[in-house]
Amino acid sequence: MSEVAQVMILGLLQGGVYALMASGLTLMFGVMRIVNLAHGVFIIAACYVAYFLFVGPGWDPFASLLVTIPLFFLLGMVIYRSLFPRIEGSQRFSEMTVLLTFGIALVVEGFLSYFFTGTFRSTNPPYTTDAILIGDLFIPTAQLYASMTSLILLLALWGFLFLTRTGYAVRATMQNRTAAQIVGVNVRRISTIAFAIGMALAGASGSLISFLYPFFPNSHWRWIAILLALIVLGGLGSLKGAVVGALMLAVAAAFVSDMFGATWAPITFFGALFLVLLIRPQGLFGREARV
Amino acid sequence: MTRQRVEPSVIAVERGPSRRRSRGPLAAVATIVLLLTLLPLARPLIGQPYNYVLQIGMVGLMWIALASSWNIIGGFAGYISLGHNVFYGIGGYASGLLLLYFDWSPLLTWPIAGLLAVICGFLVGLVTLRTRGPAFIISTVALLLMVALLFDNWEFVGASNGLSLPLPPFSIETVKIPFYYAMLLIAVGSVYLSYRVAHSKFGLALRAIAQDETKAEVGGIDTRKMKVTAFSISAFFVGAAGAVWGYSLTYLRPAIFFSIAIAAEMVLMAIIGGRGTVAGPVVGAILLVTLNEISVSQFGSTELNIVVTGVIMLVVLLFFPMGVVGTLRERGKLPSILDWD
Repeated sequence: MSEVAQVMILGLLQGGVYALMASGLTLMFGVMRIVNLAHGVFIIAACYVAYFLFVGPGWDPFASLLVTIPLFFLLGMVIYRSLFPRIEGSQRFSEMTVLLTFGIALVVEGFLSYFFTGTFRSTNPPYTTDAILIGDLFIPTAQLYASMTSLILLLALWGFLFLTRTGYAVRATMQNRTAAQIVGVNVRRISTIAFAIGMALAGASGSLISFLYPFFPNSHWRWIAILLALIVLGGLGSLKGAVVGALMLAVAAAFVSDMFGATWAPITFFGALFLVLLIRPQGLFGREARV
Repeated sequence: MTRQRVEPSVIAVERGPSRRRSRGPLAAVATIVLLLTLLPLARPLIGQPYNYVLQIGMVGLMWIALASSWNIIGGFAGYISLGHNVFYGIGGYASGLLLLYFDWSPLLTWPIAGLLAVICGFLVGLVTLRTRGPAFIISTVALLLMVALLFDNWEFVGASNGLSLPLPPFSIETVKIPFYYAMLLIAVGSVYLSYRVAHSKFGLALRAIAQDETKAEVGGIDTRKMKVTAFSISAFFVGAAGAVWGYSLTYLRPAIFFSIAIAAEMVLMAIIGGRGTVAGPVVGAILLVTLNEISVSQFGSTELNIVVTGVIMLVVLLFFPMGVVGTLRERGKLPSILDWD
């Protein structure tokens, strides 16, 4: 019994961080119909920022959030403004964005491996080896801190979307782009903001996973595949879906890892993805996908 | 009465396959194939770099086969698969295992590898092709990573260390020749397949799906059947090329076959040349293989190669989304030797 509870807790703690990573990706799809294959590579790039702040000036990875969030927000604005308007009118926009962000991912990955080589790295602040014991339940401190931070950031995102005017406009654009434009939403501006927020979330996730999972330039493919599986499960473009999907799959993966070994944990995500495609292609919270 | 507005591109599609075929490109293409067939006989002319020339030829032909096959589902039907090298790996491993256990040479068993790839493609297609657009692309990426994970941990196929194959029973002077011919056959086969698809009712149905799947369905096309068929047959020569390539390396390792970089190259070649055209992937493959060869000899590092690949992809997508063949055709400057559609 307590083993089940233990695995549940570990899964939920992981799921919190997954939810943060997936929310940026699903926000981009929801607002702009962009499938950002480069989301993973930007998370890894943020890991490197956190890493060099840690080994250089000795910043704690949580302090590096103060750098990664604004940095990636700005980067997002630049990338969106410089690349996406060119393909805005194309017939199959979403598929164009897949290819475009695939190209971006290759460029960033290439530069990362050129400058930082393929070595495994991770930041190791002192609390990475700590754990809290409650009864006979074991709670790794680093995981706990990371998912608490994720939760705060997700709440901030929720507050922005539901309590501010710009947030209303973002949600209106998610529901119906044309209608939002008709009632006076500056869709171009909202899209830039949404993309930048998505990137900022990627930056924040990078800071958090820099001490949870060792990273190297090529490791972003593993992440993006997991994240895509999560957002397909939740329903493309649904934030609620991304969070619920992340928690569910992280718990499922924790059980698979407990029973069959950690190597097989990623299979959970891909297996779930295929199952979803078979049974309910639009995902848990998705509307009928029409693209 | 609502007036029906017909998109110009739809007219082009409708006219595409029924257009009169000129004899010009056929004769020229036949000449090129003949020259490629005679190439290994020209040893005295080539001299020292003989094996190098055949190797580059083989690599080029392989990519022609891969890009042309990908184009059947990714170009004609508009379903972008980023996991097509799954079939490449399946083909490679299938023929490799036949060699290890039955001593059958992959130079002869590549059709079996291709058929196995078709069967796998059919089964995968039944599931993944239930989705459209971005969800389909995502499912192909997931497929690739899942299969990579399986092969990385499957002891029977050597897990991540892979399998070593016995050396081909040829002397060092002649070893490249059989591989070259096998790849030539595969490349010609795949381009011919792509040509036949483009000029058939089936190809027309695929193009209709690419234009607007709902309308195609309303128009009486069994879109699911067409898509799954296109996905399966596009796997054949990919699997076959994997079989021959694996044997030419004499070792099979998941990292070689299931790297997403291979899928990236396939997609990129088809896009650079012109997605949805018969000549496009061939042009794209030749351009990129040449460029890779130059870039390796100049930079010598694989990291910057990835950057170059990515930058080309961005430039082509942003400025020439129709690729070389598509852009030239639009401007009416396509030389007749490349007009295979």
